[in-house]
Amino acid sequence: MEKRIVYKVPGGKLLKIFLLIEKRTMTIKDIRITGDFFAHPEESIEGLEQTLRGKPLANKALFDSINSFIHDQQVQLIGIDARSLTDAIVRGIL
Amino acid sequence: MKDQWRLLLTGDRTAAENMAIDRAILVAHSLGVVPPTIRFYRWKPAAISIGYFQSLNEEVNREACKQLNIDCVRRITGGGAVFHEHELTYSIVVSELHPLIPKNILESYGLICQALIEGFSHLGIASQYAPINDILVKGKKISGNAQTRKLQTVLQHGTILLDVDVDKMFRLLKVPNEKLKDKLITQAKERVTSLRQVTGGDISFETVANAMKHGFEKTFDTSLELGILTKEEQMYAKDFITSCFGNDDWNDMR
Repeated sequence: MEKRIVYKVPGGKLLKIFLLIEKRTMTIKDIRITGDFFAHPEESIEGLEQTLRGKPLANKALFDSINSFIHDQQVQLIGIDARSLTDAIVRGIL
Repeated sequence: MKDQWRLLLTGDRTAAENMAIDRAILVAHSLGVVPPTIRFYRWKPAAISIGYFQSLNEEVNREACKQLNIDCVRRITGGGAVFHEHELTYSIVVSELHPLIPKNILESYGLICQALIEGFSHLGIASQYAPINDILVKGKKISGNAQTRKLQTVLQHGTILLDVDVDKMFRLLKVPNEKLKDKLITQAKERVTSLRQVTGGDISFETVANAMKHGFEKTFDTSLELGILTKEEQMYAKDFITSCFGNDDWNDMR
């Protein structure tokens, strides 16, 4: 199942996420995070996408994965954060 | 004696050339072979640049771009899609380790934007920094900016609108919701301004470049000496056009 999610981060930038969902397990088969935000280093977003593959579409699990990736890789996000990324992705369930 | 930085005036270039030159300067400066550099430039043909994380197909009406001979390029910096036509574009390349450059990225946006604000002030125009990455005149956006840091080097580039054609911009850019397009165009006209609107007349690229030069000199306590792109930088730029900004694999990467 393919989903295109457009999510305006409150007080931040616009996220456009392309999500491929494994319907049987409700996990992320593939994800592409696009938008007019900033991330340093830029290439870390590709790593984050990689990390999210296979993860369940559940609020807490997603937030924890994103949050620990950002901390471990020392990613600086501007205009988005772990919370808003999670909120945007879980819209894929709707 | 003041720190001497380099000023580059590279005139009209294609989108791929412009993005390649900025990256070439970043590489050269990271190797310590050129001083911190400010560049003022233009785009010919007019062009759309998208942020590193955007998708060209999602943001840009490529058919319309083809018809109107508009270049399209992905930047190495984040941020949004920009239509570059009547504007002065600047870039600044300086080491992250330079004592005046804040470690904090948002603070460094603020400082570099301060140079532009000084420049506007030199033109007799009051402007304000609007975090994250905009500068406003009378509450309307006149400048957008984007920064990356690679090889311990800061590259920030941004636009200063000399004039703006919002209708044309919306023919070239896609909107998230077509039904809201008319409303978005009206909003954009209310929210975006240009030096032409602010001053009520024509203002030349050279006048603005000169004012911005003063702004950077004042803010970074430096004197800008007109220089040229080195042979190495031209070589790096050529490589980046082939491998990156002139290459569909890069431009359609996301």
